[in-house]
Amino acid sequence: MALNGGHGFGPGYEGREVFWNAHSYEAVLFFFTAIALVIFAYGIYRRWRMWKALGLPENRTDKAGERIKSLLVNGLLQARTFRESYAGIFHGLIFFGFIILIFGAAIDATQFHFGLPFFHGSFYLWFSLVMEIFGLAVLAGVILAVIRRYVWKPDLLGYRGKPDNRPDDAIVLLLIALIIVTGFIIEALRLHVNVNVDGFTWEHWSFAGYLLSKTLAGVDIGTTMTLHKIMWWGHAALALAFIAYIPYSRLLHIITTPANHYLLSLEPTGTLKPIEDFENAESFGVGRLEEFTWKQIFDSDACTRCGRCQDGCPAYLSGKPLSPKKMIQDIKEHWEDRAAKILAAKALAKKSGGEPEIPEPDKMLVGEVIDLHELWACTNCMYCMENCPALIEHVPKIVGMRQYKVLMEADFSPELQLTYRNMENNSNPWGIGAHLRGEWAKELGIKTLAENPDVEYLFYVGCAGSLDDQGKKVSTAFAKILQAAGVSFGILGEEEGCCGDSAMRGGNEYLYQTQAQMNIEVMNGYGVKKIICTCPHGYNALKKDYPHFGGNYEVYHHTEIIAKLIAEGKITLKKPLEGVTTYHDSCFLGRYNGIYDQPRNILKSVPGTRLVEMRSNHRKSFCCGAGGARMWMEEDIGERINDMRTDQAIEAGAATIAVGCPFCLTMMADGIKDRGKEESMKSMDIAEIVWRSMDLEKATTAEEAKEE
Amino acid sequence: MNIVACVKQVPDTEALIKVKADGSGIEEGGIKWVMNPYDEFGVEEALKLKEKFGGEVTIVSVGPARALETIRTALAMGAEKGIHISDPSLDNADAYNTAKALATAIKGLSPDIIFCGMRAIDDDAGQVGSVLAELLDLPSVTVVTKLEVEGTTVKATKAIEGAQVTYETSLPCLITAAKGLNEPRYASLPGIMKAKKKPVDVKDAAALGITVEPKAKVVKMTPPPERAPGKKIDGADPAEKAAKLVKLLREEAKVI
Ligand code: SF4
Ligand code: SF4
Repeated sequence: MALNGGHGFGPGYEGREVFWNAHSYEAVLFFFTAIALVIFAYGIYRRWRMWKALGLPENRTDKAGERIKSLLVNGLLQARTFRESYAGIFHGLIFFGFIILIFGAAIDATQFHFGLPFFHGSFYLWFSLVMEIFGLAVLAGVILAVIRRYVWKPDLLGYRGKPDNRPDDAIVLLLIALIIVTGFIIEALRLHVNVNVDGFTWEHWSFAGYLLSKTLAGVDIGTTMTLHKIMWWGHAALALAFIAYIPYSRLLHIITTPANHYLLSLEPTGTLKPIEDFENAESFGVGRLEEFTWKQIFDSDACTRCGRCQDGCPAYLSGKPLSPKKMIQDIKEHWEDRAAKILAAKALAKKSGGEPEIPEPDKMLVGEVIDLHELWACTNCMYCMENCPALIEHVPKIVGMRQYKVLMEADFSPELQLTYRNMENNSNPWGIGAHLRGEWAKELGIKTLAENPDVEYLFYVGCAGSLDDQGKKVSTAFAKILQAAGVSFGILGEEEGCCGDSAMRGGNEYLYQTQAQMNIEVMNGYGVKKIICTCPHGYNALKKDYPHFGGNYEVYHHTEIIAKLIAEGKITLKKPLEGVTTYHDSCFLGRYNGIYDQPRNILKSVPGTRLVEMRSNHRKSFCCGAGGARMWMEEDIGERINDMRTDQAIEAGAATIAVGCPFCLTMMADGIKDRGKEESMKSMDIAEIVWRSMDLEKATTAEEAKEE
Repeated sequence: MNIVACVKQVPDTEALIKVKADGSGIEEGGIKWVMNPYDEFGVEEALKLKEKFGGEVTIVSVGPARALETIRTALAMGAEKGIHISDPSLDNADAYNTAKALATAIKGLSPDIIFCGMRAIDDDAGQVGSVLAELLDLPSVTVVTKLEVEGTTVKATKAIEGAQVTYETSLPCLITAAKGLNEPRYASLPGIMKAKKKPVDVKDAAALGITVEPKAKVVKMTPPPERAPGKKIDGADPAEKAAKLVKLLREEAKVI
């Protein structure tokens, strides 16, 4: 037999016949493909109707450019998925492997039908090699995934130590593995013939199939051809099953997750949409599923149960009954049930020509689907949203449901009720007389804007900075820094009110808006343009939420200003900071506003600083426990979040926990106390550290301090 | 059940109180006004009874125009309607005249039960409730921390030195509320919005047909004496400081 028995391939013209041994099957294959596609399309259609079945309107299709960018970065490039190395790698192997293999299959199909002028020679060889590599990549990815899910069993894939593996998870992994394995077997069978009969001498480029084909030595050609046919059909069946299975399984995330990447919120991180019309609205917040927007509901269908949100959630880790993953899954289940019933009712009504009778839900969303302890455990720390590869938005859902409990039912913890009354009466959470707000500044000679409105910056001091003993020390230190650097600034004194963050995040949007409006009125009255806040909660609210009510300012956090003053040489740090220091990222500075570097850079410019990081830092930092109005509520379930964070600081060997937030300052101080470490550890605001290091406190005062 | 709750608007406990230069009263500018906390217990108990037995809660208040805000607060909590007795002659009226105004307004309502706070935290007089009961010729139990109503039987418990007493009386009656009676509710937002539209009847002395003849009047108000600031003792060493301290304690404070 001639070496290139009729097929025309040979050295210099390497190639292979596409659809080898299966030419005549094309029509049949098309038939089955069509069936698979119909099943697929039906599944998507069904899902589509469920997505559309309920939810309030929300525009998430504007600014296509930015959305496409998110789709490319998060979807195609898997940016967020890669933030976790192991999971990122295995998912990347499968994802990119599949994309390349599908691309390869498309090239094959084109070659078969139209013939590609370049499908031979070195193109063919490289093509073969690339297909081998990515085929193996997918297989490796599946193996890594299996090891993780079934051997290693990290808690993030389960719930409270119990694995949450569903049959679907196994089916999907098995399906992928089988598609690849059968692919290699077909190749090996073909090569057994092509190499031994047709004399293809170049097929070691398809190295995996080539090696596999070696195991077939001795198998006769006829059997090989038959086996090849069977395997070919097996492979095709699996691939088509995969397509058909997508809408009915976790594979749906292939569609919903990138869709969610496209539908992302373009608002600054953590911005909450204000309630607009208190006078005429019938209901407030989210008490029923349909009071979520369609996008908030759709989110739950984009969740892959990857558990990354749960893995760093302070509420979950401290043993409270909240897991952001479980919450999203519970909403999803509730939605599947509700959507099906609503669609059925509508279909029935269409037939009978009447109005659809929508049945009442079996379970109330707030209180039953989502337990109240669960709802109130959230610190709004943003860990979940910042680390979710599917860009799911947990926090606005939680705040929406809290709004329902607070505004509609006025049913929430008595401690928080007291806090809100205090804010109503004295515009601070403690209920300290509002007239005392400016007291701390009196002996420092700081003028209020009423006394001198002609200043560059308004120092918005905030409640803790004005009224809390530790907070006042921070305000004093920061004011002295500004004075020493010759920065022109003033405060509002008595005219300042609470920023309202705790009210907003605790669901009391009405109270929040009254506070915000009062402040905005005063600040606009003075024509304020630039504001510095020492509290990240005020900073975040003034910067991102006040613009909703006509308060547009340039807002800075004090660490930004201090970093700038140091860089400009306006202040010099002399006195060294003893011992090891660690910096605790405040959620509202870090994850909410991306301020990670300035505080660290400031600490590094203090002479002698030995800065270490805690186990959780930057984007993955662990909350102090005070956000989301949790500061004002009892923490009676599970471990105390601040103690857990303090343990991380102890573990890092820190003597000083540097912070940039008065709530964190209190929480860390309490944690140090709880752990009996007052002798060896302390928490300090960056401003206090800097002022101390500037060493400008008058000699007598320093001496007194020593004697005390 | 026809229920009345009397409320008074008072300065917030944390407000900065300044006595007017002429001693006739306090400076009102800059004060945050709130519902007298004891009256809040009364309103809450009234609402609870209504929720249990049905009926209506009417809020009655004597006070200047600003007191309307406090009536609205009670309406936001869930009361049905309000009567606002507003007349310059009643501003800072004594307990008797306040009670008389309240009695005249309430009489026509023929209530089953009336609630007042045990006292108002501004003038601490603690008389209005009892005088009102007297004027309406109703039995009353004061400083109540627990209330049970069954049929027309009323059992009211109050704390006395080291014990508790439970009184039994019957409707109609008047109760003055003390801390511990209940936890006043936080108004829901729809409640706040609806309260803006609930009816409040504003009446002056003429409309009630009363004339104010004070039985007691404020002669003079004086602020508490200011506390002298602390003194810091300077000295080169602890011994010198101690010597100075002893000297001051003997000569200035005259305690040793
Ligand atoms: S915001 Fe923080 S506390 Fe709340 S669910 Fe997300 S991770 Fe948990
Ligand atoms: S919400 Fe996001 S991070 Fe959490 S399990 Fe779902 S996909 Fe993963």
